[in-house]
Amino acid sequence: MKISTRGRYGVRLLIDLAEHPKEDRVALAVIAERQRISVRYLEQVAVILRRAGFIRSVKGASGGFALALPPTEIIIGDALRTLEGDVLVADPAPAGIRESPYRECVRSMVYDRLNERIAGLVDRMTLASLVERASSLDRASSGDTAGEDGEDGETPPTGTSARTDESFMYFI
Amino acid sequence: MRISTRGQYSLEALLYLALLGEGESASTRTIAGATGISEGYLEQLLIPLKKAGIVRGIRGARGGNLPGKPLADITVGEILRTVEGSFAPVPCLEAAVSCEAAASCGANRCPAQDSCIARTAWTDLYQEINDTIESITLADLAAGYTAKALTGGGSSL
Repeated sequence: MKISTRGRYGVRLLIDLAEHPKEDRVALAVIAERQRISVRYLEQVAVILRRAGFIRSVKGASGGFALALPPTEIIIGDALRTLEGDVLVADPAPAGIRESPYRECVRSMVYDRLNERIAGLVDRMTLASLVERASSLDRASSGDTAGEDGEDGETPPTGTSARTDESFMYFI
Repeated sequence: MRISTRGQYSLEALLYLALLGEGESASTRTIAGATGISEGYLEQLLIPLKKAGIVRGIRGARGGNLPGKPLADITVGEILRTVEGSFAPVPCLEAAVSCEAAASCGANRCPAQDSCIARTAWTDLYQEINDTIESITLADLAAGYTAKALTGGGSSL
């Protein structure tokens, strides 16, 4: 039950763009370096995501890619289906062929249930929710290291405040 | 994101064994005939399943295979893990789960994994898959099969 390299890299490309909302376009070479993924591979993934309308290319000397939609509107399940073809754990029953009753039973009790649970999860997950959760974890861990003086926890340490504001903007 | 053929066939073969009556066992040939899985392939699958105690083999002229434990103690997750290895959706979770030592000594460890946002999504996915397959036992599958047969829900039954 593996997510392919294409699926993994595609999601990381989207996350990278969402994490840097102040950059109105990002060159693939920059993403490649930040994410430690080969540019050549990233190019292939970018084409797929652009054709499906998740990202758009910005032409010009300092061209690059930007999200084509707000991160709140990018559903991870949709992105995965685009990159992976589907997010099913088993091929659907072949039409017109009668399967053994054992296979039929396993299909309805295991595969169908798994497919439903997986779809439910990835369709609730948006690019914004992923990035926001990561930055709230950052805030929590920064709070821990702030020591005894930082007990009120109301004001995030200055180092993370910029990032906090950026991710907050997705929800406005 | 497919469950391998090995995993699928193992579940079907185990369901067949789960439906055997008290004290009954089934030869590899019988299971193969009923499920449509080739006998050679089935023999290969039974090796790790027997080793894990999920299937018990009885030798001799009247020997055969039967479930190695009470059906309620055999989960779909255990069967799949036995024949497929880890079903972590991404390699970085596999390393962390299957061998903590490997993770700390650096083998298979992605340098960015602690700050990787994508990894939080894969962790959730892995958890969801695990929870689902650990919650279904062979007893559930057998009961589902029987209920379907009784109500005539299955066209082929």
